[in-house]
Amino acid sequence: MADNGLSSSNHESTLIKPTNLECKNLYDYLKTRPSNVLERLYNHPTICLAVYRELPELARQYVIRILFVEQPVPQAVVASWGSQAFSKEHVYVSKVLTELAVWQEAAIPGGLLGWILSPTFKRNLKVALLGGGKAWSMSSALEADSKARDVTFLDAYSLERWECVLHYMVGSQQQEGISADAIVRRKSGIFLLQYLDTVEERGLDLVECLTFLFQLSFSTLGKDYSTEGMSPGLLVFLQHLREFGLVYQRKRKAGRFYPTRLALNITCTQNKGVTNIEEDSPKGYIIVETNYRVYAYTDSNLQVALIGLFTDLMYRFPNLVVGVITRESVRQAFRGGITADQIIGYLKQHAHPQMLQVDNRQPLPPTVVDQIKLWEMERNRLTYNEGVLYSQFLSQADFNVLKEYAQSNGSLIWCNKEKRTLVINKHAHDDVKKFWKRYSKGN
Amino acid sequence: MNNIVMPSDKPPEITSTDETSLLVIVLDSNPGQKMLKDNPHILTHCVDSVIAFANCHLMQKSQNKLAIMACHSKASYFIYPGPGKPLDVRQVDGQYEVFTAVEKTTKQNLSKLLSSENSTVVTESLLAGAMAMALCYIARMQRTKPLGAKLNCRILVVTGSGCSASQYMNYMNVFFTAQKQCVVIDVCALDQHLSLLQQGCDITNGLYLKVPQLQGLLQYLLWVFLPEPPVREKLVLPPPVKVDYRAACFCHRELIDIGYVCSVCLSIFCKFSPICTTCHTVFKMPAPLAVKPKKKKIKL
Repeated sequence: MADNGLSSSNHESTLIKPTNLECKNLYDYLKTRPSNVLERLYNHPTICLAVYRELPELARQYVIRILFVEQPVPQAVVASWGSQAFSKEHVYVSKVLTELAVWQEAAIPGGLLGWILSPTFKRNLKVALLGGGKAWSMSSALEADSKARDVTFLDAYSLERWECVLHYMVGSQQQEGISADAIVRRKSGIFLLQYLDTVEERGLDLVECLTFLFQLSFSTLGKDYSTEGMSPGLLVFLQHLREFGLVYQRKRKAGRFYPTRLALNITCTQNKGVTNIEEDSPKGYIIVETNYRVYAYTDSNLQVALIGLFTDLMYRFPNLVVGVITRESVRQAFRGGITADQIIGYLKQHAHPQMLQVDNRQPLPPTVVDQIKLWEMERNRLTYNEGVLYSQFLSQADFNVLKEYAQSNGSLIWCNKEKRTLVINKHAHDDVKKFWKRYSKGN
Repeated sequence: MNNIVMPSDKPPEITSTDETSLLVIVLDSNPGQKMLKDNPHILTHCVDSVIAFANCHLMQKSQNKLAIMACHSKASYFIYPGPGKPLDVRQVDGQYEVFTAVEKTTKQNLSKLLSSENSTVVTESLLAGAMAMALCYIARMQRTKPLGAKLNCRILVVTGSGCSASQYMNYMNVFFTAQKQCVVIDVCALDQHLSLLQQGCDITNGLYLKVPQLQGLLQYLLWVFLPEPPVREKLVLPPPVKVDYRAACFCHRELIDIGYVCSVCLSIFCKFSPICTTCHTVFKMPAPLAVKPKKKKIKL
């Protein structure tokens, strides 16, 4: 009926709580920062660029349109940019822009309210786009590296490092499931956010670290960057990133480092499987059949373990595992805090090229997708509502009047005619009470 | 296909496009354009605006792709990504290094092109040829993309040349190929109204804009041409105007209202001729009264 106001989940406390998986993207993260932190963040062109890319489609257009406008633009004018059919989206987009302090309300002579871009954000986005200002910290000139590393090497390195971290992090099967159900990029993003929460305790400056991280994400794969001019704190941070496999450094004191693919993708938290157009991106290896069988062409233990989380494994060959998706196996995964969307997302993300040939947009058999969702819905049969119980009505008429009033308000949660009881949404309680007083006085 | 709607407390379902968008900009850099002859400095302004616009396109999404072409009177060239190895660009200021690379590569290649241009004979720009090259480029990108990826392609033509019916056939071939390949053609006219290219926009569902003031070129580009086609429906953009669909005759390359059409190959002629010049079909000479022969009127 209504949204569940109370959280229904009580998962075991694991290293990474499942809730983090649902909401932790850049937007949610920044939204919770106080405005002075945001203001400091927007002092860096990199962060402005990253925030801009994270904005919803329409918001990006709005920002571009007023980027070169110096006066506030009337809100009514901004609203008229979007077409009527998408007015809901416009409202949402305006909210996002306000929450992230990308734009502010400003009064226009004549009594109208207008929007104006945050001056810091505007200045630094322009710098990122058109140039000017100071160079980013890691871009000092370097002579050519005698031992330059190529992209394949970096990929292998980052994967190896990352799997090390994963194996260390996940003691039990359970936890592995939670951290590993998403793609590597997602995982690293979540993990890093977790890490960032502890950054300040470690005596590092959050803004500095975030800025560096974003700079890293805008760097070019296979290119070396200089550590010159970095603060001691940042160098410590760089060593941490090196441990996660986000950057490669031959030696601690090498004076240069290479970002890996993990680092490049760190800010792309859009959980939709953004298919990379690059030719060298890894290929999918999973085939799902309509009879719920899953074939995974892989020899990696980690990937086999991932598949095993939500399937019953049947056979294992040197380069292939075969499993079958069953109600029990999927429910086991749900109990571990994995959602149906994550399972489907994972299967889709790694779908074998053969699967994509049939239908690009829907590589998975719809029956399997629907069934997994149904199995998840099975578990969510209860919805929680905060409500107030009304009972002991003197007459059926009184009951009916109140019921109809609540119904017209949309605040009625449940009613029983025989027992003359009503449950009304807690927020509407005051309103209904007032109505009842007026009504009983009138009689 | 998934008919189960999952309950969620997320914000209203926002339709967003997570696809890659490829933009090919065809920039008319022919020194023979009227506006450039009057004031050569305009070219710098146009190039700067186009580069800033191109960078805005790349800024939209990290996976967006870009190509820029220069169109001359004798040939067209890709100036970004240029031929040969990409420049090794280091950051010099606060600009994102990818944007710096676009700016430097484009300017370098364009200046190379313009300095090698030595003929004094000025003819019209080969826009149709450039667009055909752009289509080839797009076709290649479509072919080499990994399975499962979706690539939205469009071509933006920025030109100050006049419209010439002499390339009519080439234009039409390009427009209908683009339509078939689902490539959107946008046209930004800087100087004169271009009725033929306007037809192309109409055929491929693109946008046509004659810039009223050249000073504000960047703003016009950003407002009208930056949103990619799937986003356009959410925005209020200039409404399509009535398109002049007159065809050019094959014999004199002039736009005509009424003419003769070959019944075999549909070539258009302004005067009756006994042999079709395109497919060599022989028509019977009209009987004494020259009203009867196969003659169709083209409606406007």
